[in-house]
Amino acid sequence: MASVITSRYSRQGLWSLFLISAFPLHLWTLILAFRDISWLTERTNAWDAIGVLSYGLLVAFVESVVIFLVIALLGFLTPRQWESDRRITFLAFLVLITSVWAIISQLLFLWNVSLPTWAIAYLRQSDHPVRIVYGAILMVVMPTVLLPAYSFLRTKKAVTVMQDLMERFSLLAMFYLFFDLLGVVIIVIRNL
Amino acid sequence: MSNRLNRRDFLRLASYLSFGLALPPLAKTLNPPQPLQGNKKNVIILVFDAFSAFHLPIYGYSRNTTPNISRLAERAIVYHNHYAGANFTTTGTASLLTGALPWSHRAFQQYGEVQESFVNKNIFKAFEDYHRLAYSHNPLVNVLFHQFIRDLDDYIPAERFMLTSEGFIPSLFARDEDIATVGWTRAMKKDEEGSAYSLFLSELYKSYQDHRIAAYKPFFPSGLPSVEPGNYFLLEQAMDRIADQLERTSQPFFGYFHFMPPHAPCTTHRDFEGSFRNDHLKTDPKPEDIFTQNRSWELLLRQRLSYDEYILYLDREFGRFFDFLETSGLLKDTWVVLTSDHGELFERGIRGHITPVLYQPVVRVPLLIFEPGREQGANIYSSTSAADLLPTLLHVTGGKPADWTDGAVLPPFADAAQSRNIYAMHAMKNDPRAPLVHASVMLVQGQYKLMYIFGYKELPDQAGRFELYDIESDPGELMNLYTKQNKTGAALLEQLREKLEEVNQPYR
Repeated sequence: MASVITSRYSRQGLWSLFLISAFPLHLWTLILAFRDISWLTERTNAWDAIGVLSYGLLVAFVESVVIFLVIALLGFLTPRQWESDRRITFLAFLVLITSVWAIISQLLFLWNVSLPTWAIAYLRQSDHPVRIVYGAILMVVMPTVLLPAYSFLRTKKAVTVMQDLMERFSLLAMFYLFFDLLGVVIIVIRNL
Repeated sequence: MSNRLNRRDFLRLASYLSFGLALPPLAKTLNPPQPLQGNKKNVIILVFDAFSAFHLPIYGYSRNTTPNISRLAERAIVYHNHYAGANFTTTGTASLLTGALPWSHRAFQQYGEVQESFVNKNIFKAFEDYHRLAYSHNPLVNVLFHQFIRDLDDYIPAERFMLTSEGFIPSLFARDEDIATVGWTRAMKKDEEGSAYSLFLSELYKSYQDHRIAAYKPFFPSGLPSVEPGNYFLLEQAMDRIADQLERTSQPFFGYFHFMPPHAPCTTHRDFEGSFRNDHLKTDPKPEDIFTQNRSWELLLRQRLSYDEYILYLDREFGRFFDFLETSGLLKDTWVVLTSDHGELFERGIRGHITPVLYQPVVRVPLLIFEPGREQGANIYSSTSAADLLPTLLHVTGGKPADWTDGAVLPPFADAAQSRNIYAMHAMKNDPRAPLVHASVMLVQGQYKLMYIFGYKELPDQAGRFELYDIESDPGELMNLYTKQNKTGAALLEQLREKLEEVNQPYR
């Protein structure tokens, strides 16, 4: 089992992949939690608001582990001849782009963005509105995944750019993991 | 799971859901209740949110919305002119819980709290030698519970009786269940706020939750009862759990239980769906108010129908709960109160209760008091207030009178004052720490009711809007007598303004 893993990943590579999985999930948790803090403080108190943030960070940590495991398993579907670095950066890119789209889908709701009236009117009169919506989403999302993926296959530069990005994000992710630790301490104190 | 689930299966399913514990349904009492310590009787207050007195046949409604309450009312003291302290949950419930009028407790806004000096002046504190329990489906009420939490022996978080609650939370985070639940909800439930901390697991969790509640959907054709999107509950489950808890609680106990029905969304059980569809309710349209929401009369009639059919559901559950109290033997040692925090309006282009107007349907609420051992009912027609409940319950249970309350002991436990003023108000847009300059206030004195609305930019006259009704001869409030009976109107307005001056004084 260990040899199967080491044939595809280095220890450092797996750690980087975990950090990059944790980064967007924690960032989004922190953004929303800080957005919630004022009303939570108003409804209860600051200590409870910190408590909610701590539970949120705990969930973010668990989600990071789950996403890391899923993406690491997906890595076994990549070409065997890829060197470890290319595989890690490619998987990291997949995590980031999927997270960005997941964040956008929530932001659209938070910012109350809806389809323009003409589009709604068009969908109403069509026979398959759901298929059309999904088709349109696919047309927007797919190029953002496929084009960079293609560049990973063709050029070394894409790998280098991604590695540079990963380094920066990993540093932030380390801070987030420290916050997770603080969150766990707070949760323990609250449950004593 | 098919539609062929019978009621027994349904209840069993309901009890399995949250914690994997199979609890006995109300009718089957397996354990005798804990013995009563001393002479003190238990107290149970059951509040059904947004339950207008205008929709109960015991108060003259033509639809038979409450067959069980009507049956049981024959053994109760029924208050026919009972007023909530306000027209929405926070303010109305704060009056119930503090025995104070809104201008005293100052919980004016959604998710508002009572002012600091009232934190130790609450109904739970007043019953401090009792085992005190509280539960509410409604998050606005839970904000108030949080303020009084030091005076609660058993605070049951709202999530505990929700269909989508998680059993691991009370097990893992027993000492911080409420905040752990809020944290979990914000992290995983996208439906409630439209966003979740979790980007991916929240999507999976939604599918899992949909799967969990799928079995109940056939029982509620218009949708499962819910508090907020994605927060589903069953009234029967909440009632069962509370009954189970009461059986295990040491006596005397004091329980305050606040249930969501018939508050919107009105999604009744399939047994009641369509019950009034073709009854051709006779009711005439009323003129649109300046605070209209532009709802047509036809739409209001349809919404009223859903509301009335939802009342049938709560009535059945109330009947079942009452039967449980009786068969378990608790009833003979328990004062039971049935009331509401505010009413609901289906007229003048308005549906709901968060509105500056204080017409009767939105402030007149049911009040029934079941006295231990009483077999013969009684009817009280004098006007009474939500603030009266606290002093009355203290009086009948032999408790020490509360010196902070704005209420009075209700008849027949004390003589009714003939010329007593009853107030209700709405001041959602008024700063609770400032004098009242943007509010609606109602004063009922005998047969007259004065409504005074001031500070709203919608008002044509910035001096305010004044309406005077003879609610005995004109219960529909169609004829504003303010200009015709200027003397009466002016006298009531003077009293009201004096009162406002008095209550504003500390905030100037």
